[in-house]
Amino acid sequence: MKRLILALLIVGALLAGLTVLGSRGWGPILITREGEQKILLFFGKALAVTTPGVFARVPLLMDVETYPSLGLYLNVDPESIQTRDQERVVIDNYVVWRIVDPVAFRGSFPPPGLDLAQQQINRVVKAAVREVVGKRTLVEVLSVQRESIRQAITDRTAKSLADDGIAIEDVRINRTELPPATEKNVFARMKTDRTRLARKYRAEGEEQARTIRADADREARVTLANAHRDSEIARGIGDAEAARVYAEAYDTSPEFYAFVRTLEAYRKTLGEGTTLVLSPESEFFRYLGSGTGGAEPAR
Amino acid sequence: MANDDDQLPAEEQVRRSVARTVGNTFVAVALLAGLGAWSFYYGTYTLYPGQAAIILRLGAYDRTVATEGLKFHLPAPIEEHEIVKVDELRKEEFGVGGVEEGATDVAAIQQASMQTQDNAIVRLSFVVQYRYGDAFRARYSLQDPDSVLRDAAQASVREVVGRMTIEDVLSERRDDVAVDSARILQDTIDGYESGILVTEVQLQEVQPPEEVRQAFDDVVAAAQDANRAVNEAEGYRNEVLPKARGEAAEIIAKANGYRDAKIAESSGEAERFLALVTEYEKSPEVTRKRLYLETMEAILPTVEKVVIEPGSAQVVPYLPLGSQRREGLQ
Repeated sequence: MKRLILALLIVGALLAGLTVLGSRGWGPILITREGEQKILLFFGKALAVTTPGVFARVPLLMDVETYPSLGLYLNVDPESIQTRDQERVVIDNYVVWRIVDPVAFRGSFPPPGLDLAQQQINRVVKAAVREVVGKRTLVEVLSVQRESIRQAITDRTAKSLADDGIAIEDVRINRTELPPATEKNVFARMKTDRTRLARKYRAEGEEQARTIRADADREARVTLANAHRDSEIARGIGDAEAARVYAEAYDTSPEFYAFVRTLEAYRKTLGEGTTLVLSPESEFFRYLGSGTGGAEPAR
Repeated sequence: MANDDDQLPAEEQVRRSVARTVGNTFVAVALLAGLGAWSFYYGTYTLYPGQAAIILRLGAYDRTVATEGLKFHLPAPIEEHEIVKVDELRKEEFGVGGVEEGATDVAAIQQASMQTQDNAIVRLSFVVQYRYGDAFRARYSLQDPDSVLRDAAQASVREVVGRMTIEDVLSERRDDVAVDSARILQDTIDGYESGILVTEVQLQEVQPPEEVRQAFDDVVAAAQDANRAVNEAEGYRNEVLPKARGEAAEIIAKANGYRDAKIAESSGEAERFLALVTEYEKSPEVTRKRLYLETMEAILPTVEKVVIEPGSAQVVPYLPLGSQRREGLQ
C-alpha cells in the first residue's frame, strides 16, 4: 500500500516534470498549443502533423518543427498596373492566408520557410492582379467590378499556391491610387463638371425667378383687367338704369319734357358772346309795344 | 526489515515507529504543501471587469471564463490561461490630417483619397472602433488581427465610396457611407472568423480634393445665388400683387360709386320731373309761361340783343357775321 502510493507519487512527479519539459519543447511529451501545428520528423521524414493537445515522441530520434495554424496577414507591395483602357492605377492588396498542409509547405519552402512563402505569395498575387486588372477598365476596377475582381484574384492566387500547402482565404484590394498625371486629368474633369453644375444652378435660379416675376406681372395685369371689366359693367348698369328711370319718368309727358329740356338747353347754350336777333312780335316782347296787355298778339 | 525490528528492544521499536510516523507525516505534509503551493502559484489568476480568460489544457483550448474575480485552473503546465481585454474599445484612424485645407502629410492624403463611381476623387478621414468580441477567436484565428482589420476597413470604405457618386458621398448619403462600410467590414472580418466586433465606423472629414475645392464651393454659392434670385422674385411678386389688387379694388369701388351715383341722380331727376309734371298738368298754361319767362330772364341779361321789326323794308338785316365772330373770338 505504502509502496503503491510511493510509486504513484514518483510517476506523478515524473509526469509533471516531463510535462514541464514538454511545454518547453523537450522530452517525450509533445505539447501543441492553440495556433500551432507541428510536424514530427523521423530523420527528415514527416511522420505526423499535430493539432493542439498532447502527443508522445521518442526524444532525440524524432525532430519537431512548429508552424502557425492561424490566419496570417501579408500586405502585398503596392504596384502600378495598366488597365485595359490604358490608364495606370496603383493597387495595394492584403492577403489572409494559412498553412493548411505543413508537410507540403515544408517541401516548397524549406525551414525557415515563412519569409520565402511570403515572397512567393507576393509574386503570385502581383501576377494575378496584373492579369485580372489588365483585362478591365479603370472604372470597372475602381467601382463596378470590385467584388468580381477580388474573387478572381483570390481564386487565381489560391490555385497556384494550393500545391504548396497554402490556403489563400482572401486577397483584397485595400487601396487604389491614381498616378499624379491621371489624378490631374480627374481634377480637371471634376472642375468642368462643377462649373457646369454651378452654371446650371444659376440659370435655373434665373429661370425660376423670371417665371415668378412674369407670373406676378401676368396676375397683376389680369387682376387689373378684370377690375376694369367689372368697372365698365358696373358703369353700364348705372347708365342703363339711369336711362330706364329717365325714360320711365319722361314718358309720362313727352311734350312737357321737350319743353323743359329745351329751356334748359337755352340756359346752357345761350350766354355771353351770343347775339340774339329778336322780333318785337315774339312771345317775350308781347307786352312791350302795346303796354295794355291782355290781348293776344296777332300772329 | 521486520525481522530486524523484532530483534530490537521494545523501547527501541516504539521509538523507531514514532520516528517513522513523524517522518512520514512530515514528508506527506511537505508534499501536500508543495502541491498546494504549486497549485496556488500556477493555478490562480484574477479577472477584472471587461476581461475574459482563455483556458488551454495541455495546449488545447478548453474553455473561456468571462466572469470577474479570483479564478482557479489546474496548475501550469497542465492548464494555462491567457487574458484578453474583450470590452476594451480599440480605435484605428485613417487619413486623419490628410483632408483638411493645407494638408501636407502625403501618406495621409493618399490614405484619404478615394475614387467614386463617377470617376471622381474624394478625400475622407474616418475612425473605426472595434473590440474583441470573442476572446478565443480574437486571439487564435488571426496572427495579426489589428493589421487585418486596418486593411479590411480601408477596403470596405473604398468599396462603398466606389459605388457612390461624389455628390452622394459629399451630401445626402454621407451617413450611408459609414453604415454600409461598418456592415461590409463586419462581413469581411467575420469571413476570417476573427471574433472582432466593429462597433462603429465614423466619418470625420469628407471633402473634395483641395485642387478642386473652389469649384465645389462655387456650386454651393451658385445654389445660394439661385435661391436668392428666387427669393427676390418672390419678394417682387409679394409687392406687385397686393398693389394690383389694391388698384383693382379702387377701380371697382369707383365704378360702383359711378353706378350708384348715376342711379341716384337719375331717380332724383325723374322724381323732380314727375313732381313738375304733376304741377304742370294742374295748370299747364301758366306753368309753361312761367318756365319760359324765367329762362328768358336768366338768358337775356348776358346775350347781345338785336330787335328788328319784321316786314320793315328800310332795314336790311345785315349781320357782319364773319368779322364779329372773329372779334368775339379774339
